Order: sequence, then structure tokens, then C-alpha cells
Amino acid sequence: MPISNETLKRIIAEYGGFELSDAELELVRPEIDNYLTELQKLRDLDLSDVMSSRLLRAAEGDEANA
Amino acid sequence: MRDSELLKLTISEIAPLIQSRAVSPVELAEAALAEAEKRQPALNSFITIMRDEAVAQAVAAEAALARGEYLGPLHGVPIGIKDNIATASIATTVGTKVLKDHVPDEDAEVVRRCKAAGAIIIGKENLEEFAAGATSNNPHYGAVHNPWNLDHIPGGSSGGGGANVAAGVTFASLGTDLGGSVRLPGAFCGVVGLKQTFGRVSQRGLLVTSFNGDHIGPMTRSVRDSALVLQVIAGYDPLDPSTVPVPLEDYTLAIERGIQGLTMGIPGNHYFDLLDPEVESAVRRAIAALEELGVASREVNLPSMEYVGALRFSAMADSVVTHEPYIASRREDYGPDTLYRTLAGQFVLGRDYAKAMKVQRIIKEEHARVLQDVDFLVTPTTPMPAPRIDAETITVEGRAQKTRGPGSGHISRNTSPMNATGFSAITVPCGFSEAGLPIGLQFIGRPWEEGNMFRIAHAAEGVSPSRGVWPDLG
Repeated sequence: MPISNETLKRIIAEYGGFELSDAELELVRPEIDNYLTELQKLRDLDLSDVMSSRLLRAAEGDEANA
Repeated sequence: MRDSELLKLTISEIAPLIQSRAVSPVELAEAALAEAEKRQPALNSFITIMRDEAVAQAVAAEAALARGEYLGPLHGVPIGIKDNIATASIATTVGTKVLKDHVPDEDAEVVRRCKAAGAIIIGKENLEEFAAGATSNNPHYGAVHNPWNLDHIPGGSSGGGGANVAAGVTFASLGTDLGGSVRLPGAFCGVVGLKQTFGRVSQRGLLVTSFNGDHIGPMTRSVRDSALVLQVIAGYDPLDPSTVPVPLEDYTLAIERGIQGLTMGIPGNHYFDLLDPEVESAVRRAIAALEELGVASREVNLPSMEYVGALRFSAMADSVVTHEPYIASRREDYGPDTLYRTLAGQFVLGRDYAKAMKVQRIIKEEHARVLQDVDFLVTPTTPMPAPRIDAETITVEGRAQKTRGPGSGHISRNTSPMNATGFSAITVPCGFSEAGLPIGLQFIGRPWEEGNMFRIAHAAEGVSPSRGVWPDLG
């Protein structure tokens, strides 16, 4: 379900974000819609036991590892 | 040899001519500058052409040769630098009006290394505003045009570099790749584009980016040239904590090892989904050609790619943080595509950022596991040939996909995952669409094993229908 412009404006006001008019929110909306769609795909994915990502590292002068 | 013929050589072809003094760095720089100025009205590939600085560098390069000081294969070779990579005393605009007067005090580390290797920098190349998109249709400095068809995009964000290498203006250009921005212009312009392992090349001096996945990499006319440039720009930088002190191999020697014994993995999901049929045909033909050369193949599955869209959460949040001071002070100077795509990031929850980082981990581990069974993956670089500059959307399987601005991302669906894993990837030309637009073949390799990737990419280039074909620019 899409988030209303009023909700988005409240978020901006409460969290000190960059203000957006109704017309500007419509320009931003495709990106937000993608965000919500992709978030929905994660709904049933259990991430509780997954380590967070980290940069690729290798010991100095040693063989590489990921 | 005429100037136009000299400018169509590769670095590995022209370097011996420079070393033997059969070709003068000053004459070569003058030829490249003349070509840059001649092509600029059509391609719009530069923001700044550095005539005086380039000639001065070339004079110094020639003097060094006269003293018997040869600095290696980039000595006296004209190259371009994307305009988000710092160049001392030369405007570095990042493709935005916000930074139109920005003049760095110091060269980026990669620029320092190229200069130390004797390369001649002929200009700062046009790009997407803030390098934040795949079209190089810049609202402030104008659209870059694809040399193969001027009505089409060159890809982005390093579009100026891709166009220049394809058109015979520069022998190599350094671009930056946060979601495919070297490999996409490589594919759309029919040149080689490399995104080496994250940590292999210093990012110091790369401006206004997310440091979680950006890479400075070369666009070149051959795989061997890509190896030569990587050899120069790679290496540990104690002032860039993202670089890793992993020993460099001799990449040109690696190419000579051939391809016997290599096994390629062909993904059964994601990378071959939502493809233009002409792209799929060209890529399948390239795979068949590699099999004929003796490369074994195996289908592999990457089920976690179902969640790849989540990687965008962290990019959104990183982007708004990176842009915060500029939006606060110069919001009116932004183009709408970059501004509104960036501002969406302020709505990403911390919880979802953390989820994105965990998904990133899953995808990275899955690719690492698959790359234990095969030596590399082979995929299309882009789902389609270069769209038209005026195309706001492209239709894929009946659904409109945005090419730019908020909600876009389809063009980079096969390149951006490797920015998250950090693994190396390279695109090589593998043919053309019926309309004459280049198509790219992507290889994905294990971290730190660029040498293996050059081996297979060199073999693919050797049997490519693109070999020796140039755009007709009149």
C-alpha cells in the first residue's frame, strides 16, 4: 500500500529531512515504490542469523579471501 | 603512418613505436587533441579539453625519451579522465553545476600514478550528473552521444570515456563504477570496461560517491590494454583504507597462459532474464565460441539474486548522506533526475539498511561458493543495446522500465550486483544488434584473480565479431 504524501511530509518534518512539495513527492515516488516492492520480497526471508556484509579483505602479502 | 591510423592503434601496439621513438609523444598528443576538438561537437564527450597541459606533458615525455628514460607502456599515450576524479589545478565538476568551479589542489592517486607512468591526460570527460545514472545525459553539460549512433546514449555514468575510446580519441579512459558505470559504457560503446576487485585500486580523489562499492577502472580498446592500465593504477594506498595490500601479478603474462582448463559458469537465473533477444543471441554465440575453443561450461544457479533489489536500500541511504551538504546549500543547482532520485534515500529506515547489508552478504557468499566450482561466470553486460537519448523508458516483456531518474535501474541489473560483492568483472564486445549497436559480454571472476579474467576475456575478444570494426563518424 503506498505511503501518503502527508505521511512522507510528517517523516520529513519529524526527522529534519529535506522538504518536498506534493509535486516533488510525485517525482520521488517511483524510487520509494521500488523500495517498498523490494522490501516486500524480504518479508519471509529470515535474516536474523546472517552476518552483515563486510569489505573484501586479505592479510598483508597473503592469499586473498572474501 | 597517418594520424588517423595512429589513433586507432591499441596501447600495446603504439607503446613500442613510442619507445623506439618512431612515434613522437608530442605529435601523438597533438593528433589526439585535434581529434578531440573535431569530435566534440558531435560526441560532447569532454567537459574540459586540456590542450596546454597535455602538450606540456607530451613535451616532458619526449624529453624523457631523449634522455633514455622510458617509463613503460603508458609513456606518451593520450588518455582521458572522468570529471569526478580529481586533477590538480584543473576544474573537476563531477558533471554538476553545484561543483562547476571546483578546482582540486591535488591529483587523485590514480591520476598521480598515470602521470608517473608517462601518460598524457588530454581532458576531463563528460558524465552523468554526480555519476548517478546510466545514460550520461547531463542536464548541465549536455548529453554525451554514442559514436555508433549519435541518437543513442553511450551508457553511463562514464559515457564520455566510453565514447572517446570507441571513437579513437583516447587510447584509454579512466571511469568510475558504482553500479556498472565503467562496464555499461564499455558495452554500449563496444570497448573493454573493467571493474577490478574492490580494494585493488585507490579511490582517493574520487569525488562525491558512496565508498561502499565504487571503483575507478579503465575503458580500453583491448583486454591487453586493460591489463596494462590496471598494472599502473593498482596497488595499496596507505591513505585509502579501502585498498588492500594484495600482491599484483604481471597481468600481461597472465594473458599468455591461455584458456585451457578453465570452466565457465552460465547463470540459470537473473542474468539471462528480461533480455532483448538480440543481446541473448549474441551472448549465446559468444559462449558457444568459447566452448569451441575448449572452455568447459556448466549451468549455475544463484537463487539469492531474487533479493538483489534490496541492495538498492543501502545505495539510496549512502547517496543522500553523501549529497546532504550539497543539497542543503545548492539544491537549486541540481538536475531533477539526480535530485529526486537522491532525496528518496531520506526515507530508508535504518532497519532496512541493515537488511540490505545482510542480503549483500548472502549474495556475496553465494557467488563465492559458485566460483569455487567454476573459474568465472559469463553473462550479458546489459539487458539491451544502447537506448535512444530521448527514451524516457524502454519496454521489456510488456513492462515500461525507466532509463533515468527515480525508479530507474534496469540498465544496470547485470552490473550492479558485482559492486555489492566487490568481485572483479569485465565487459568485452561480442557483436552488434541489427541496428549496428554494440553488445557486451560480461565475465565475473573471483576476488583478486583479475589475471584469470583477462585470460578468458582476451580469448573472447579474439573470436568476437566486433574485432576490428570501428564506428563510422565521417
